[in-house]
Amino acid sequence: MKIKDGFILREVAGNYIVVAVGDAVKNFNGVINLNETGAFLWKELVKGCDEDALLAALLAEYDVEEEIAKTDVKAFITKLTEAGLIK
Amino acid sequence: MPRYKIADVVFDAKLIYQYTVKLCAGYEYAGDEQPAFSAEVTMDDIMKEKALAPEFPEAYLESLALFRKLCDYTLKNADGIIFHSSAIMVDGNAYLFTAPSGTGKSTHTRLWREMLGAQAVMINDDKPIIRYIDGEFYVYGTPWNGKHRLDTNTRAKIKAICKIYQAKENVIKKADTSDMLITILNQTIRPSEIELMDKLLTLIDKMLSKVDIYTLGCNISKEAAELSYNTMSKGESK
Repeated sequence: MKIKDGFILREVAGNYIVVAVGDAVKNFNGVINLNETGAFLWKELVKGCDEDALLAALLAEYDVEEEIAKTDVKAFITKLTEAGLIK
Repeated sequence: MPRYKIADVVFDAKLIYQYTVKLCAGYEYAGDEQPAFSAEVTMDDIMKEKALAPEFPEAYLESLALFRKLCDYTLKNADGIIFHSSAIMVDGNAYLFTAPSGTGKSTHTRLWREMLGAQAVMINDDKPIIRYIDGEFYVYGTPWNGKHRLDTNTRAKIKAICKIYQAKENVIKKADTSDMLITILNQTIRPSEIELMDKLLTLIDKMLSKVDIYTLGCNISKEAAELSYNTMSKGESK
């Protein structure tokens, strides 16, 4: 699992956003707002990883219960998949 | 070839339709400054605009194509961003109201003019250009002035930006930066080149730290204008 080319994460005025550039603009015209955890997961997904690795990375970085982390990771992946940002 | 000065950028324009020439007439330039660039609008440019807005006549689409060229140039070379909003100046300070089309930003600035009379000057009712110059953000009038044809060929320092939504009771508060950031990104032309996108985001980042930002829920009344003007001109949200 990996973030498709052409989507960039930027920090603007203390907020994390994702926008499309280049050819990706043709298919995605929106702006995605991410919280800090979302931005962390995004950066992992830019490198490419599966759901288990993503969960492991989240647990290593944040003090969070595994069950909650699992739900969050699933929701995050679903959201990005629905928006067409993952290949 | 007509020469224009818009947002303090001097340029030549090669146009096909009289509509655009007439639209920009108030911005013709006959001074000594050399043009920074030349904007030639081709049928190809017009067809690109038509693909985005097929309901409009070619002459109008030409004016949009010219606007896009000017915006491209100003973002690349003059720290300029277009911001779909109704911009009004009072006592030398500019206030920008933004919202999706049809929400009532033009109506709200009309209420300001009714309340303040000659003290309030419309800078642009639809597509002003913002520029970052020497650490300050200025809004400029442009000929792309909306259906009420309201603009002044001038500039003013931006004091506040306000996002409007319709509400029964009038209420104003400081906006969240995340909400205003998304709003601005949705009311500007976003470039597809990564370098220009980064430039745009850097400008917005600076602007959000420099100007006051509000959200205003409002109805169409004198009280709505009083609330927004009194709050925004003081510079402190209650």
